[in-house]
Amino acid sequence: MDFSAAIIDATSDVFSTMIMLDAIPGSPLTEKMLSFNESISGMLGFSGDIKGMLRIHCPDRVAMAITGSLLGMEVDQIDDDVNDAIGEIANMVAGGLKVNLAKHNKSIELSIPTAIGGKFYTVHSLARAERVTIPFAMAAGQMLVELEFVSAK
Amino acid sequence: MNWEQNIIAATTEIFSTMLMMEVTPGAPLQERNANYKQSITGMVGIAGLFKGMLAIHAPADVAMAITTNFLGLEVDSINADVKDAFGELANMLGGSIKASLSDNSRDIQLSIPSAVCGEEYTLDYQPRNHCTTMPFKSAEGIFLVELQLEQQV
Repeated sequence: MDFSAAIIDATSDVFSTMIMLDAIPGSPLTEKMLSFNESISGMLGFSGDIKGMLRIHCPDRVAMAITGSLLGMEVDQIDDDVNDAIGEIANMVAGGLKVNLAKHNKSIELSIPTAIGGKFYTVHSLARAERVTIPFAMAAGQMLVELEFVSAK
Repeated sequence: MNWEQNIIAATTEIFSTMLMMEVTPGAPLQERNANYKQSITGMVGIAGLFKGMLAIHAPADVAMAITTNFLGLEVDSINADVKDAFGELANMLGGSIKASLSDNSRDIQLSIPSAVCGEEYTLDYQPRNHCTTMPFKSAEGIFLVELQLEQQV
């Protein structure tokens, strides 16, 4: 299964139907360790035939632009609305991946989305997990959508 | 729903058997703590019959002491060992809580664990109810175990 294509499909679908913002996918990143400045990360764990975590990383400016477009209002600070919106986008993208995986006879169940934000933080993942990270270019900046997973026995 | 007893049982057992550390539970936090400074958070998603996430939060110095007990090696910074240890602790706590909720191991599943650390970060999720945060006191300092869980109907 092509996980890059699955991430791009699920993300593009959410952005074109729910958020109405252009998000242009780029080439997968190769960095394993990710540090963020003044950003928000929405993350959501899943389990089943494959288990892992989906994460969406946005600089604050991008997060505010996405939230503004999703809610149809001006957003000029990082508040609960932004946390909820980025968490919800992680949830929607994971939902799209779940449907896509089902077409490949793989079933997954989703946990709840969590939003992490801050001036400087690092997100660390398991050494043995596979990781696919796709950057998306938007007017306000770059967003990363990252899928980390291991195949369950 | 209150998960106090599940958290206490899982945490005291894992810390006494795996880390050889005596930890004492305090009173559950009345309001969830969303802001962390110079800290590390290990987290794992929970999916299936119950849906949610489990997190363990510790200030950097406490996290290093816990890692030393856990892995039997000296650590003097928040390095990959500490991050791995916190991911693994979240995984073990999640596994123990999962077992306390259902006898059938297929009912509830865990995602892969992840660790977040940084100088200053926030952690938020939806819905904000259904969560319990328990502080634990150890010789090295205080850490928090947080469980957000909702039974699926």
